[in-house]
Amino acid sequence: MIARTVRIRLTGTPTGHRVRLAEFGEEIDPLQREQLIAYGLTAQQTLTVLQQRPMTVILCEHMELALEHWVAHHIWVEEETRKPG
Amino acid sequence: MYCSPLSPALASGNSTLVLVGHPNVGKSVLFHRLTGTYVNVSNYPGTTVEAARAAARFDRAASLLDTPGVLALPSRSDDERATMRALLNENLRLIVQVGDAKSLRRTLNLTALLAELGVPLVLALNMADEARARGVAIDTAALSEGLATPVVSTVATGGEGITALTDTLASARVPAPLLRYDDEIEQAIETVAALLAESAPHPHLAARGLAILLLGRDSEVERWIKTQAAGGEILARIHGLAPLTGPDSLPARLARERGRAAAALARTVTRQDAAPDRTLSLLFGKIAVHPLWGWPLLLAVLYAIYLFVGDFGAGVLVGLMEEKFFAGILNPGITDFVRTHLGQGWLADMLVGEYGLWTMGMTYALALILPIVTTFFLAFGVLEDSGYFSRLSVIANRAFAFLGLNGRAVLPMVLGLGCVTMATLTTRILHTPRERLITTFLLALAIPCSAQLGVVLGVLGGISFSAAALWGLCIVLILLFTGWLSGRLVKGHRIPLVTELPPMRMPVMGNVLKKTAGRLKWYLAEVIPLFLLGTFIMFALDRLGALPWVIEAGKPLVTGWLGLPPEASAAFVMGFLRRDFGATGLFILGSQLNALQAVVGMFTLTLFVPCIASVMMIVKEQGIRIAALMLAIIMPTAFFVGGLLNHFLRFAGF
Repeated sequence: MIARTVRIRLTGTPTGHRVRLAEFGEEIDPLQREQLIAYGLTAQQTLTVLQQRPMTVILCEHMELALEHWVAHHIWVEEETRKPG
Repeated sequence: MYCSPLSPALASGNSTLVLVGHPNVGKSVLFHRLTGTYVNVSNYPGTTVEAARAAARFDRAASLLDTPGVLALPSRSDDERATMRALLNENLRLIVQVGDAKSLRRTLNLTALLAELGVPLVLALNMADEARARGVAIDTAALSEGLATPVVSTVATGGEGITALTDTLASARVPAPLLRYDDEIEQAIETVAALLAESAPHPHLAARGLAILLLGRDSEVERWIKTQAAGGEILARIHGLAPLTGPDSLPARLARERGRAAAALARTVTRQDAAPDRTLSLLFGKIAVHPLWGWPLLLAVLYAIYLFVGDFGAGVLVGLMEEKFFAGILNPGITDFVRTHLGQGWLADMLVGEYGLWTMGMTYALALILPIVTTFFLAFGVLEDSGYFSRLSVIANRAFAFLGLNGRAVLPMVLGLGCVTMATLTTRILHTPRERLITTFLLALAIPCSAQLGVVLGVLGGISFSAAALWGLCIVLILLFTGWLSGRLVKGHRIPLVTELPPMRMPVMGNVLKKTAGRLKWYLAEVIPLFLLGTFIMFALDRLGALPWVIEAGKPLVTGWLGLPPEASAAFVMGFLRRDFGATGLFILGSQLNALQAVVGMFTLTLFVPCIASVMMIVKEQGIRIAALMLAIIMPTAFFVGGLLNHFLRFAGF
């Protein structure tokens, strides 16, 4: 059983799942990227997805952040899964 | 153990202590604790939009400055620029960084930049109670050692840690830098710092800190450098050093490296214990932003406000104040007294006649408006202290996207229901000039302030709930249509929403009462002079025989197009000073208006010119040209759509 990481979009993460932030997509403009970093969203940060509608709401440390889907769609996260065998 | 030497700033007797921190971390409450001066505080980001200053309780020679919250530095928004301006221009003794104890990594991200400015710093880790409630334990001694400057845990709302904080201010040191950037960036920093030290030294900020800000494209520091002799040349060299856009731009790399350093330090001093149960707070927070249940909750909140402000405030309390106390006891007594001493002349009429300063101006302000705004500010205070308003921006985001805005604009809009003037100032929390322009226009056009809202609910609620609902529907339609149109006409693009959701909590009644008292004081100081001036103008027009002429001149518009009684012209004259003053004029006409006229009259007056104070604020924020353009659009629009509504309702047999 080998652990591997799968990179998915934040909007594709089911509610209640804990994921690690991988990177921001290039579509997110530099100002918004700085804003996200300022909120504490940096690579390898653990995030918990609290809800996906009407906006993506995540828990980052102990701060709840609401992200519009366009932004969440361009945030890539990693989810640890078990490879069969 | 602190190893850095005392900063020259301390020795030279510099006198300003500045509070800096993220939005919604309790800077303003701490400011109140340290100075005794109350500034508006709320459980949502963006309450402080201008710096506030007061003498410190612990050192009367020193002044304390409360700055607007910064999401990050280098500065990007107006609030951040205002804070950067304070750092650049104040004679700084030290910086008190106020941080959120439950988000240490984020707090240290800002510390990583402040530490480079060469100014002594104390870190107040505020909201320590909320951190404890989440099982977060921070080793402040280890953190203090890591930063080489004092770190104090505080709970500003409860006064915890305030004495410890003031005691440690004397031992504040310039913090140790949190990181060394990568070699390429360090080289760029050194080059710019050397240029600054040689050609444009700042009186108290370190060249290295300014170099980092300039490489991060801080517009406020760029503005400062342009005022220096060699500023243009320095800026040109900086711009040639590295790419300024894209994911690998210098500003992005600087921010990323600070973020990593902050995360590393936070990990070493934080322990996560088992947290007590917060189910109820989380459940309320979840319901408030739920795609389905969020809307019934919003409607329930609006209905509760309607019952409390419209029914209780504008109905029961106004009845007691106006009919029982003013009309029954106070005004007859004052009128008798004045008539006895001044006779029946014009002076007595000016004081207690039909358009008397007391019988009209003060009676409107105290008997009609005061109970309404008091109930509104109480309801508003409860909602803002609970943390509900930030969640409102989430469920309203889609509707605001239709207007070309994002859900953040809901905060000034909701504040506008309290006072449009205050709300116009709060548009500074919006990130782009485009968002500020559209929001300011919508506030000026279609958002009724609390006094006007109360009068409207009082008049229309007295007729029927459906009359009040119809008025609300028409206002929402106008808001959506003009917002949609503005979103398409004003240049620029919409910024997607990213916002923090502060924890939902039980409102603290002490906070609510203090805020209500502060707002009432501010409101009455603004309202009473304008009500008295308006009354005097009405009195003068009446005495000069011009009022019947105004009523006659307004007939085609007021009676013909809007379908109102001729006397309603006077309400529109009053509305020039304040919309709520005009609305009160219609309130007095009450029995002469049928349901249709009441809806049309209140609708038109809601859209009518914003009050004088709001116009002045629009001039201040947007300039005289934009303010004049807004007025030129708003006034004809109000009469045009008011008339359309009149004819449509008549046609529909309302």
